[in-house]
Amino acid sequence: MQDAVLAMLAKEPSHGYHLRARLRHSLGPLGESMNPGQIYVTLARLEKAGLVVCERADGLPEKPERKVYALTPAGQQRVAAWLTEIGWPKPDLAEFHLKLATAAAARLADPVELIAAQRRELLRRLREAQQAALAEPAGSGAALLLEGVMLRLQADLRWLDACERAWSKVDHEAEGA
Amino acid sequence: MGSTVLIVRLALADMRRHKIQAAMLLLAVTVATATMTLGLSLRGVSDALYEQTRAATAGPDVVALSGETGPTVTSALTSLTDDPEVVAHHGPYRIVYADLTTRDSISSPVVVQGFAETPGTLNRPLVTSGHWVRPGGTVLERGFATALGAGVGDHVTIAGRSYPVVGIAVTAATSIYPWAAQIGPYGGPSDYTGLAWMTRSDARALAASRDLPVTTALDLKLRDPGGTEAFLAAHHGLTLRVSLHTWRFTAEQDMVILRDTQPILVVGSWLLGFLAITGVAALAAGRAIERTRRAGLLKAVGATPSLIATVLLTEYLALALIGDALGLVIARLTLPAVASPTASRIGTAELTGATVAAATVLAMAVAVLSTLRPTLRAMRTATVTALTATAHQPRHRPRLTALSALLPTPLLLGLRLTARRPGRAVLQACSTATTVIAIVALLTLHAQPERGYGLDGSSALPNLRGEHDRGLMLAVTVLLIALAVVNTLTFTWTTAMEARASMAVARTLGATPGQISAGLSAAQLLPALPGAVIGVPLGAGLLSLFAAPNAVEPPSSWLLAAALATVLTTAALTALPARLAARVPVAQTLSAETA
Amino acid sequence: MNVSSAAVRARGLVKTHGQGQSRVRAVDEIDLEVPQGQTLAVMGPSGCGKSTLLHLLGGLERPTGGEVWMAGRRIDALSERALARMRRRSVGFVFQAFHLMDELSAAENVELPALLAGRSRRQARRRANLLLERVGLADRARHLPSQLSGGQRQRIAVARALVNDPLVVLADEPTGNLDTAASLDMLRIFDDLRAAGQTLIIVTHDERVAATADRLVSMRDGMFVDDTRLAGTGTGRLGGLIGLEG
Repeated sequence: MQDAVLAMLAKEPSHGYHLRARLRHSLGPLGESMNPGQIYVTLARLEKAGLVVCERADGLPEKPERKVYALTPAGQQRVAAWLTEIGWPKPDLAEFHLKLATAAAARLADPVELIAAQRRELLRRLREAQQAALAEPAGSGAALLLEGVMLRLQADLRWLDACERAWSKVDHEAEGA
Repeated sequence: MGSTVLIVRLALADMRRHKIQAAMLLLAVTVATATMTLGLSLRGVSDALYEQTRAATAGPDVVALSGETGPTVTSALTSLTDDPEVVAHHGPYRIVYADLTTRDSISSPVVVQGFAETPGTLNRPLVTSGHWVRPGGTVLERGFATALGAGVGDHVTIAGRSYPVVGIAVTAATSIYPWAAQIGPYGGPSDYTGLAWMTRSDARALAASRDLPVTTALDLKLRDPGGTEAFLAAHHGLTLRVSLHTWRFTAEQDMVILRDTQPILVVGSWLLGFLAITGVAALAAGRAIERTRRAGLLKAVGATPSLIATVLLTEYLALALIGDALGLVIARLTLPAVASPTASRIGTAELTGATVAAATVLAMAVAVLSTLRPTLRAMRTATVTALTATAHQPRHRPRLTALSALLPTPLLLGLRLTARRPGRAVLQACSTATTVIAIVALLTLHAQPERGYGLDGSSALPNLRGEHDRGLMLAVTVLLIALAVVNTLTFTWTTAMEARASMAVARTLGATPGQISAGLSAAQLLPALPGAVIGVPLGAGLLSLFAAPNAVEPPSSWLLAAALATVLTTAALTALPARLAARVPVAQTLSAETA
Repeated sequence: MNVSSAAVRARGLVKTHGQGQSRVRAVDEIDLEVPQGQTLAVMGPSGCGKSTLLHLLGGLERPTGGEVWMAGRRIDALSERALARMRRRSVGFVFQAFHLMDELSAAENVELPALLAGRSRRQARRRANLLLERVGLADRARHLPSQLSGGQRQRIAVARALVNDPLVVLADEPTGNLDTAASLDMLRIFDDLRAAGQTLIIVTHDERVAATADRLVSMRDGMFVDDTRLAGTGTGRLGGLIGLEG
């Protein structure tokens, strides 16, 4: 989030409300739940870190004066570093994996039930994302982001299938024994 | 050598997998070649039987016949023996025209020839049972006796007097039964007549007792049997009241009874061959995909196109040759009965090399023509295409589709099914037309008025020639109908199998099994209908090529009924395979298609 | 829920394949009620019996035991002929392999069920053109299936399934033979059908297709192991999907 805001300031200094509008445009329906104040919280943190400076622009007579944010040299360096950085948003699979293992070991819950509940949840999310994507006009940037979301959800659902196959086999063996 | 073994092995394997197809080809070729062989052999066999009878009975080279009797006639006849060409003679002997009645009250005109009790060197009738004439007893000509159902020991009444039949004999001096009279009384026309022999004195007594018409005959043997024409020319005009019958003429007369038999058999064999080709071609087309795939497989492992063609052709040619051999054997066995419908001739019949060759050519033609398309297709298709071969795409026919959309569901489905395979529709039409042609011919033969061989044309003695022709025509028609039935079943089943995916889809869309099977039947009936309609004039036209000028056409109601019956039978025949095909579960078909 | 409001209902549905030792229960005592206007997705691994279930519901196969009701009418004991008539009026099928007639154009394929149902050629064609427009293929009406892409063929199959305005559309792996782009087109079409209140049962192993449905059942070894309502249970906060909360 911070990096994206910094990068948006790289071209020219900008008002907070303008930054927020640009974020909303890129994120589409996904940005709707964003807290209105969140952008200012982020900008305040960046200012504190010395990555942006806040200048007061002269307001027009009928409008109050606005804060205009600009990058500091340190901020510019940070943007350059961000763009060259190669990252991978880590999916957190270990937690669920361990949940299944511990639940099974301690006989706290049936792992297959846990998997089913998880699947239900993921499918609801997938449906939500899909409804949002279908509502987007063709070629919208937000639809592309939603596509990524859905593909990750699909990957998770397939992993759940693999988990289910493995854990039901364990169940069967336990029953057989 | 290795490739020969390979070809034989592949051909055998293919035959084993397609037993029905192989059996059908075998049957069709057998029937077609047997019929053709018979048709082509008639003349040769008739001549051969005459020759054998002539040799066995010391047949005369020329028979001189006079319509009258008396000293002038006798001297005119005997003057012929002065010709230096004449090396031997028999007679003059009298021929008495009378009526003969058996114990079963069958009556027939008969000519009685007065012969010596001890036959001479010329015209020695061969006694086939009993013994030769003796006073008071008569010998019947074998063809005549067979028609009468009379044997040695029976009594027959000739001109009111009873005679025991003491023997049965054959002769080459006269034509076969019922043309034994050769000339009528006073040289006039003769009716269907049988032949009997008596002693000279009995014949004289017979003629005198009732004042019966009598003619005189003299048998001559020439120095050169081939010189009969020169002999005829030399005596032309000299003996106005004497007609000379050469042995060639008599042999030719034997063919009269077979005059219509030959076209029945030869044309019949063409029609049978044609049906065989349509049937086997339809079966082969049904297997075209599998065949092409197999060819692709062989190509993929390095077989040349010529090897593939050789395998395919070897299989069909081998089957055709087996069928040919079977057909020839059948023809050889039935030949005496077919070529000699009377018992007037003796001897055995042999097939000539030319006939065997012609039958073999027919068999090969059936094999090659029925596999030409699949073979060429398998050879030409590229290997990869062949391996993934699917049924060839039916063409889009917008107008026909639009037209069928106006029709009730079974016709809608039927018309579209017909349109998927226009080639097969044409085959079905041809098959139906061929059947109707044969039925028209059969009906026409039955419609001909004919004189029986009995007294005054009584049919107590049936007209052998007509019976013979009708019998053969019936046999040919039955064979044709049998092949047409097999064809119709094959066409329907092949159509059903090819269209099973489409029909299963139609069922998911709400077509009932009844509508599907009605559609499959309609797909065969639509081409069968024009086939039946065209078959009537085609049959009539074909017959007019061979018919006598005074031939009678069968009533048009018969022809109409025949065409209608053919169409109805086709409908009934298609119903069974169509119903079977429509009963296959939809889900099963669809899963099979997806897999 | 009373019987009459259920478009499709099954009670104790059983279908076995094979004999003796190799006897397999493809569908094992299934109870199902699909109310009018609901879209239902059936998911499960291959061989779990989900296609067989669809065939049983559509009357393409007969159950070994149990009952199937369609629009309040029991259909499991109907004759083949009555089943065909029932399909004509009440069921539209969409198959994985499209199963279009190769020798018929797009419009001719779509109008075929209408003709089978006894509509006039003119009515059938008008309805076909309307539906082709709905699936975005009005300009391909005269094309043959072989001239169209897989996605276009499947859209024609959907139009065909809808031509008689069926009570329920049964789709069997509708995206199984399609690439990603064509699958997205199908998703859009199914979502439109759902929005239009078309009762729809989709058998699929594609999570995205299943996610268009209001309700999802999971099948294992011929039995339902899960029955989830997807509609109206979302978080309502899409931002949560990308960690944009708070």
